[in-house]
Amino acid sequence: MPFLELDNLTKQYGHLYAVENVSLTVEQGEFISLLGPSGCGKTTTLQMIAGFVEATAGAIRLQGRDITHAPANSRGLGIVFQSYALFPHMTVAGNVSFGLEMQKVSKAERARRVDHALTLVHLDAYADRYPRELSGGQRQRVALARALVIQPPLLLLDEPLSNLDAKLREAMQFELRNIQQQVGTTTIMVTHDQAEAFSVSDRVVVMQSGKVMQIDTPYQVYEHPATDFISRFVGKTNMIPSAPGHPQRHIRPEKLRLVAAGSGRVNATVAERFFLGSQWFYHLTSDLGELTVTIPNDGSAPQAPGTVVGVQWDEANMRTLAEGRA
Amino acid sequence: MPRNGALALTFNALVVVFMLAPLVIVCLVAFTPENTLSLPGWSWSLRWFEKVFHHPDFMTSFVNSLWLASTSATLSVALAVPSAMAITRGEFRGRGALEALFLSPLVIPHLVLGVALLQLFSHIGATGSFFWLMLAHVLIITPYAMRLLISAMTGYDRTVEHAALSLGASRWTMFVRVTLPMILPGVTGGWLLCFINSFDELTMSIFITAPSTITLPVRMYMYATESIDPMMAAVSALIVALTATTALILDRIYGLDRVLVGQR
Repeated sequence: MPFLELDNLTKQYGHLYAVENVSLTVEQGEFISLLGPSGCGKTTTLQMIAGFVEATAGAIRLQGRDITHAPANSRGLGIVFQSYALFPHMTVAGNVSFGLEMQKVSKAERARRVDHALTLVHLDAYADRYPRELSGGQRQRVALARALVIQPPLLLLDEPLSNLDAKLREAMQFELRNIQQQVGTTTIMVTHDQAEAFSVSDRVVVMQSGKVMQIDTPYQVYEHPATDFISRFVGKTNMIPSAPGHPQRHIRPEKLRLVAAGSGRVNATVAERFFLGSQWFYHLTSDLGELTVTIPNDGSAPQAPGTVVGVQWDEANMRTLAEGRA
Repeated sequence: MPRNGALALTFNALVVVFMLAPLVIVCLVAFTPENTLSLPGWSWSLRWFEKVFHHPDFMTSFVNSLWLASTSATLSVALAVPSAMAITRGEFRGRGALEALFLSPLVIPHLVLGVALLQLFSHIGATGSFFWLMLAHVLIITPYAMRLLISAMTGYDRTVEHAALSLGASRWTMFVRVTLPMILPGVTGGWLLCFINSFDELTMSIFITAPSTITLPVRMYMYATESIDPMMAAVSALIVALTATTALILDRIYGLDRVLVGQR
């Protein structure tokens, strides 16, 4: 029996399908990301699991129990909202304690568990502050502590890092993953950021137009995308023309190498060159069309625009994708 | 910051003087030792205040008004909270019409309302009833509470309520522990504005008060038609003091400009 099971979950608004026949099984302790562009139905799916949106059809089963139509306040799930949704009139400790009060946990026990949860997110020194006195990253950790303190079977994260600046976001990704592994709570995160989904998840569910397009490990999603759309959504890619009647072939920019002119599979001219710090990013024009290539900044001299170079790759890194599913 | 021109400053100063001067003069006259409406010279006296407090009719009316204003303000806010909630959150037909209906008493002249209610009350035998007088006040002051509560609830982040639900709160607990504290400035602001408006209401009340329910403004009006003496000034000064105190409290807890201008 899977820990969490979405069985042909569907949400219809009039004739419009926000979510269509989404099926997914999640094992206990797994970290799953729902990844997709805005409007792909990932948030609606999360809201149906949370109980804020009523499913039109299908079922949600948690630990074998059908919770499809259970009221949100009876599900006992931990939720971290995009806006954090902290109670502004309560202190940090008050916010974290709220769920325990609802469970009628004794005062002493509450104090102990609140303290433990705040220590987990490194905010034990901030128990008496109000949310308005905290930074974005601190608020987010309060929200996480508030969701985890009730020891939910399932933790739902709705774009938890999208309101943080880039540097903090990266730090929080690792912290989120660390905390999740410490606590062991099964987690579902909604995000539109592939890097975020890849870095923290065990498996990624790629969604598009209300449907599940691929469920796989981050590595598989990146290396073996099921569709042209996924290939482009989770990274950059080069389309290599093939003989008429044959399926389209793709290769990622970092799988291409620049070699001396004439010694590669094709010759190309450097059109533009961008410096990204850890790597160089090239736009090339060739007989195969435009190519993008990323080369690690390993200290060697970069190619100047106008230079003719050879482009080399391993045929094993070339992917063939089903056409027309974008 | 742009500086105001001399003309604008003069104009503003004149408006402020024009608004405040009568109030200041009334308050000063209240302290006169004379028997006529005159400004106190070097000698000040509290004799007219003393007379107010020993005037049984005025004291009864004062208590009537206080009681009337607080009960009707409370009832108005109790009505306005769920209505404003439905209007700001619900998605149903006639939402705009409902909002207009709730705010409409603002545009009906109190004079007309007074005459109409007088007829209604005598028809149903409700003349002299404090309860019906209170309902009439609720009718005219509810728009103030509505206005404030609608602006307090517009832009309210409902995911905070979702958070409360997800943590296991019942809908009632969510309302008491989360929703209400977050709209509290609107609730208190609305209550105080309602209180001031009810306490101050004369035009409609003249028609529908009976001897046992005469409010302070009506009492003053009746008194003034018979005799003018500095006791009137003393009563006025007391009302000014009461209103100013309420406004000050309002400003402290919520910011008067936000209350009166609204946030929408």
